[in-house]
Amino acid sequence: MKLRAITMNTFSGLVRNKIIILFCVGCVCVLLLMLSTLLVMRNMRNVQNAEQMQAAVLPLIASMMGLVSGFGSLLAAWSAADALSSEMRSGTILAVLARPVRRWEFLLGKYLGVQLLMLVFVLIMIGLNYALAWIGGAHIQAAPWELIVYPMVRYAMFSALGLALATMMHPILAFCVVLFMTIAAQIVSPAANTTFLPEWLKTGLFYFLPSTNLLSEMRFLTITRATLEAATWTEHAMALSYGLDYALVCFLLAAWIFHSRSLSRD
Amino acid sequence: MAAAAIEFQGVTKVYKRLFSDEKIAALSDVSFQVQPGEVCAFLGANGAGKTTSISILMGFFFAGSGQVRVLGHPPGDVRAKEQIGFLPENFAFYKYLTAPKLLRLHLALAGRNPAGSEAHIADLLQKVKLTGYENLKIGKYSRGMVQRIGIAQALLCDPQLVILDEPTSGLDPAGRREVLQILAGLKAQGKTVFLSSHILPEVEQICDRVVIIDHGKLVRTGRLEDMLASGNRVEIAADRVPDGFEQSAAGQGAAVERGPHGARILVDEARKRETVEALWAAGCDVTSMNPLRSTLEELFLKEVDHR
Repeated sequence: MKLRAITMNTFSGLVRNKIIILFCVGCVCVLLLMLSTLLVMRNMRNVQNAEQMQAAVLPLIASMMGLVSGFGSLLAAWSAADALSSEMRSGTILAVLARPVRRWEFLLGKYLGVQLLMLVFVLIMIGLNYALAWIGGAHIQAAPWELIVYPMVRYAMFSALGLALATMMHPILAFCVVLFMTIAAQIVSPAANTTFLPEWLKTGLFYFLPSTNLLSEMRFLTITRATLEAATWTEHAMALSYGLDYALVCFLLAAWIFHSRSLSRD
Repeated sequence: MAAAAIEFQGVTKVYKRLFSDEKIAALSDVSFQVQPGEVCAFLGANGAGKTTSISILMGFFFAGSGQVRVLGHPPGDVRAKEQIGFLPENFAFYKYLTAPKLLRLHLALAGRNPAGSEAHIADLLQKVKLTGYENLKIGKYSRGMVQRIGIAQALLCDPQLVILDEPTSGLDPAGRREVLQILAGLKAQGKTVFLSSHILPEVEQICDRVVIIDHGKLVRTGRLEDMLASGNRVEIAADRVPDGFEQSAAGQGAAVERGPHGARILVDEARKRETVEALWAAGCDVTSMNPLRSTLEELFLKEVDHR
């Protein structure tokens, strides 16, 4: 009951957050830009170039949705950091924690509220994926669960990281740290072939930083049925368990810091 | 004897500045107790350490040293918080909620099912005079209305211990009187009330115990009755006191203070009859005679100024 109340209240607060609304408007604008390109492609499509056009549509959708989904990771981190910090800043946390609510319950409620927001975001994104593919005359081969679970696990990682950092610092600083870590994770990922860092440091940072290459759902948007079938359950389990582990460690860190800190108004 | 509702034992809290050696002692060796069923006023000038103490009591801050018990439990323990109603100073609530929704949220946070609580919520809103504003979001409330909804949420779960940090802040005189009536009602029900306030004449009307702190140190604590008693002196109010009466009164050990509405004569109780007779003999009207009692405000100013 308590957890549900905190979760739903956090969700209600987040959907009214001006920065989050602004972010969503930005995403819609990006997608509208893409819509016009897809409509042009649809008009240019004829019997001769049908296959060629179809092959161009999915990568286009994947790249644009990749951008939106990447921003989604930052949205998850910001939402989590702000959900906690805004309560501390305004003092609303005092009335909540004066109730028989444990600090970790409060934090978990905040975290689940952010996950609820991100689930809505993911569902809207998937709906748009299918709609855009239909407009472009293409068909998405990936199973819907992959398009839901992969981004959700990634957002779970980023929101837990944002929450952990927000227990120690100002939310803007926490967001900047997440942004820096995300860029650094891209630099040290094996796909980047970075040469200026020693191998041992790259490996260490790869596990420490939120490395999301394996958790990108974009690869499922562009692949064909043959390669999709080649993705085994072991691969899914490994990729998803990495993300869930990372989220769990970050959340436990956040709960530990939050448990021992004073609740002064920042 | 029942365990104290609130117990502070040698509590110290020091704030340290980040990246600096500077330390500020917010509380130094503060000890006091509040017994169940008492109304205790927690007094101190701004910055004296009242809010820090209350934050420690609620488990929001951690004491550097010393022991704190609330209803027999450590601060922040959910078993204690189940029995506490708390109103923070200058608190904020979710602006997008209406009063009934906020109270339902707090019921859920207290682990109670909000379904079927409409009558209880309506009663509380009536008690704090917010009936008719059920559909208005808290973001549109005036400061006084926010204070009222804060009081309603503090009383929501029939708490055994009510902790109020500046409950009359932002309220008009009628609102202050209503809060005092609510506090008197809680006292009559045998609830323990711990309140911090700067409006001393009002606090004096309802409290049993006083704790005064200044610059983080306990200045004085005790039962209000004992603290305000000023020995066996009486105060006589009289009109038309002739000039020169001071000299004859001084002979009886009385002091005369003249004011715009007559004179105030302070005398030992043993000589009150003699003094009244002397006033009558001098043609004065004696309008009242009462045992001399300091006010809480005088006591507070004396204790705080003295330091």
